[in-house]
Amino acid sequence: MSEPLLSVENLKTQFFTEDGTVRAVDGISFDVHEGEIVGLVGESGAGKSVATSSLLRLVESPGEIVGGEITFKGRTLFGLEEDANGELRPRDDMLSEEEMRREIRGREIAIIFQDPMESLNPVFTVGGQLREFIELNRDLSEKEAKREAIDMLREVGIPAPETRYDEYPHQFSGGMRQRVLIAMALACQPDLIIADEPTTALDVTVEGQILEMVKELQTKYDTSFIWVTHDMSVVAEICDRVNVMYLGEIIEHATVDDLFYDTKHPYTRALLDSMPRPDETVHELNPIEGVMPEAIDPPAGCRFHSRCPDAREVCREVHPEPRDLADEGEPTHRAACVKYDAFDVGYDESRPIEGDAAGGFGAGLTRTGGEE
Amino acid sequence: MSLLRYTLWRLAQAIPVLIGIVTITFFLANQIPGDPVEIMLGATPAQEQVEAIRARYGLDRPIHVRYLTYLSGVATGDLGLSIYYDRPVLEMILLRLPVTLLLMLSAFAFAIVTAIPLGVISAKRRNEPADHVSRIVSLIGVSTPSFWIGLVLIIVFAFHLGWFPARGLILPWADPADVRGAATRLEVIRQSAHHLFLPMISLGTLQMAQITRIERSSMVDSLQGEYVTLARAYGVPESTIVRKHAFQVAQLPVITIIGLGLSTALGGAVLTETVFEIQGMGRLIITAINNQDYELIMGTTLVFGFVYVIGVIITDVTYSYLDPRVTYGDD
Amino acid sequence: MAINDTTDIDDTTDVGDGSADGDDAGEIESRVGIRYTLKQVRHDTTARIGIYIVGFMTFVAAFAAVDYYLLDYAIAEAVWYNPETDPDRVERLLPPVGMENQFGQGVLEHPLGTDHRGRDLLGRVVYGTRVAMTVGFMATTIGLTGGTLIGAVSGYYGGWIDDVLQRATETVYAIPFLVLVIAFMTAFGRDLRFAMIGVGITAIPVFNRLIRSRVVSIREEDYIEAARAAGVKDRNIILRHVIPNSFAPVLVQATLQVGVSILIVAGLSFLGFGAQPPTPSWGQMLSVSRGYMLPAPTFSVFPGIAILITVIGFNILGDGLQDALDPRINN
Repeated sequence: MSEPLLSVENLKTQFFTEDGTVRAVDGISFDVHEGEIVGLVGESGAGKSVATSSLLRLVESPGEIVGGEITFKGRTLFGLEEDANGELRPRDDMLSEEEMRREIRGREIAIIFQDPMESLNPVFTVGGQLREFIELNRDLSEKEAKREAIDMLREVGIPAPETRYDEYPHQFSGGMRQRVLIAMALACQPDLIIADEPTTALDVTVEGQILEMVKELQTKYDTSFIWVTHDMSVVAEICDRVNVMYLGEIIEHATVDDLFYDTKHPYTRALLDSMPRPDETVHELNPIEGVMPEAIDPPAGCRFHSRCPDAREVCREVHPEPRDLADEGEPTHRAACVKYDAFDVGYDESRPIEGDAAGGFGAGLTRTGGEE
Repeated sequence: MSLLRYTLWRLAQAIPVLIGIVTITFFLANQIPGDPVEIMLGATPAQEQVEAIRARYGLDRPIHVRYLTYLSGVATGDLGLSIYYDRPVLEMILLRLPVTLLLMLSAFAFAIVTAIPLGVISAKRRNEPADHVSRIVSLIGVSTPSFWIGLVLIIVFAFHLGWFPARGLILPWADPADVRGAATRLEVIRQSAHHLFLPMISLGTLQMAQITRIERSSMVDSLQGEYVTLARAYGVPESTIVRKHAFQVAQLPVITIIGLGLSTALGGAVLTETVFEIQGMGRLIITAINNQDYELIMGTTLVFGFVYVIGVIITDVTYSYLDPRVTYGDD
Repeated sequence: MAINDTTDIDDTTDVGDGSADGDDAGEIESRVGIRYTLKQVRHDTTARIGIYIVGFMTFVAAFAAVDYYLLDYAIAEAVWYNPETDPDRVERLLPPVGMENQFGQGVLEHPLGTDHRGRDLLGRVVYGTRVAMTVGFMATTIGLTGGTLIGAVSGYYGGWIDDVLQRATETVYAIPFLVLVIAFMTAFGRDLRFAMIGVGITAIPVFNRLIRSRVVSIREEDYIEAARAAGVKDRNIILRHVIPNSFAPVLVQATLQVGVSILIVAGLSFLGFGAQPPTPSWGQMLSVSRGYMLPAPTFSVFPGIAILITVIGFNILGDGLQDALDPRINN
């Protein structure tokens, strides 16, 4: 396989709060190849958004990337090394803040945020904002940038783009604003677009239209996407490969087909069971029991054991790293669950966790994995 | 609706408020105990003299007639005659109003010019030493009586150091012939600025502190806005983000606070003019009260109200100009 | 970012659970809110300084009030000097201890020096606390009561009642408030009682606006609907549910308003409206001190510092309360 466009190795981002250290992203690894859409799925609080802002090195205080390596097109966006005293310091080949700003953000990696209502500046015209970012990231003159902006607005399906160019965000509907943000990302002609739950705030019909449009434009421009979502149906719709996150870790990684038809991790199973599926007749949806624990004090052992229907005593003690469980010759399918033989930690001999431990401390409360 | 029509609409809306001000003022003035005519003519005036005066100033008519007469007078720009000075009230006010407006404008200019950078730096360097200094300064600023600042400024900068004059004000457009030691226009302007400096700071400090506080909190909010994160994610330089993306949104609450501050500042002008013995509207109303000069009390109060209402309309229009979300005349 | 929001979420959860409990939700929520607020404030260093200052000033004022109203300055005379009567041996305008001016050398008997009649300045500044605090609290209470009443009725009933009440308060607010109070006191009386009432009236619109907006949003809540459906009288709904629910933000505003009122009353006294001599009041002392700024500049300093410290106390406390309440206000 060719060299990946983006590769993330053991990335760790932590927030140093008064109450303690929050391990929002705790050693995740994944990659993105040219022209593919890679999903990042999980409940809210799983660390998906922190992971994506880490990619652009936009984590704000008190948050900090504390470890790992991010490589994009052969350049080191983040990387640490030990100096003579054993202290960690940025590697020499790591891009400076100024290089990140000038050469990466917008130009190479663009982002689309979740909330189209808040992402556009209310006091500037939509066109003006679009033009500014195009000018900045494509070295075009004001006039060219404007033409480009109008073309792109047309491309994302905004009617009468010449007039709408001069309108303000509040004059656009939510769906239209999200189209503007998508136009913004595409117009800068990056190689990678991070879409951070871009359709969550929209209603279902608009969501459908936007997903269709993105799929078309993605084929046309051959841009890679990281698609962040909590919604498995969106994943099914749009992604090629998927990473499932739970409490700052990626617990399963597979192609979208494998994930749906050969689900390995009980958490992924639970996520899938909690959503309606057109391809299966389900009599009853099963919401996931309990709430995700805080990332400030993650449970020992497997982080999902407190809510896992398959949990055994061993799950309290052993913290599994994802391993490839795919058969020879099949695409990679990594999962982090000790019930598979590949882990060999004595799952089968271990006793099931007593009582309603599987229901966790949140028994009675149910979450469907949706955003609040 | 266009900005012009919005402005006209706001002016039209102000009419009932202005009538309200006239009404309040009229009835308050009528409550004033004592007889102005007696004050004017001494304790034991001749009966016919009193009646002549009463007739001349319309004091012999019933109150509702006087109210309506006054109201229609105001509508045509006639604020009546000052009983004490025997001069048209409007004429006296027009002599004094520019002084107060000059004082007010310079105070707000000082406040805005110092407060905005202070607030922005404070927000940008939140919880750093610069922020602490700016917050302490603005806390003291909102807690200090403006007239006391005036007294301290006079003691230190006029009496002790002798840098600035302690009293009076010269209008920059005054005739050089009337200004002592000034042969040229430039000299008049220089003297004017020299006189204006201490009163400007005395009156402007509270506004400065108020605006700094709002600017800071508003910028802090704005800098946390999603649109700022978006701009960062698209490689916009931090300085542009502060100056443009975060700044413009953050000015909206600041404009509101400036509008509200006008009321405090107009009251403060009365005090500042007293401290610095400046012959403006503030001194005029105090003199009018001391002389029990009905018409003049009403006229000055009224004009204070008018100036405030106009000021608020100006800030409203500015706001709607800067915030595209305002839908004109929806209210 | 979810991490910083933890407290907010907990907080709103409380409120949500409270409302779900049904009829008494109003009181439950407000009690939770107040207790929560006070706990937050105790943990905040700056807010604690505010509590200390306000507590100390209140204590001094209460002490001065007891001595003045009940004991006719017996305590003052026993341990120090009577702050009102002229001393037998007149040493006017002495500077503070350790300093010197043309009237003599500062002495330990009068640590802050003496005033223009030879009275001890420290005593007068201390006893001046009474006037400032009384007026601050009384004016705020008047504004709070009036504003709450108007705001609650206006917001709860809406329609033409709302329109009439709101236009009326707007009109009153359209006269710069110092000018309004001066006109009011000219009409009704120049003494302290009318200063309180006048300043109280200017505070009405602030509380009116606050309460009205809260009421309008609370009016539609389920539990209010339920109470109405259950046949609870409107008046009882307002008193038992709506007003307690608005208590927290009103507390913040009231705290800040005491400071503002103290500043306005100081300004009024400076202009000769308010406490009349020989009653010790800070504004009036500053007014007199103006005549002696050149020979005895320190006379003008201490009453001003007293005002500054007191008002800072209320402002810090108000800010602290505001911070503690922030999640709620933002919701």
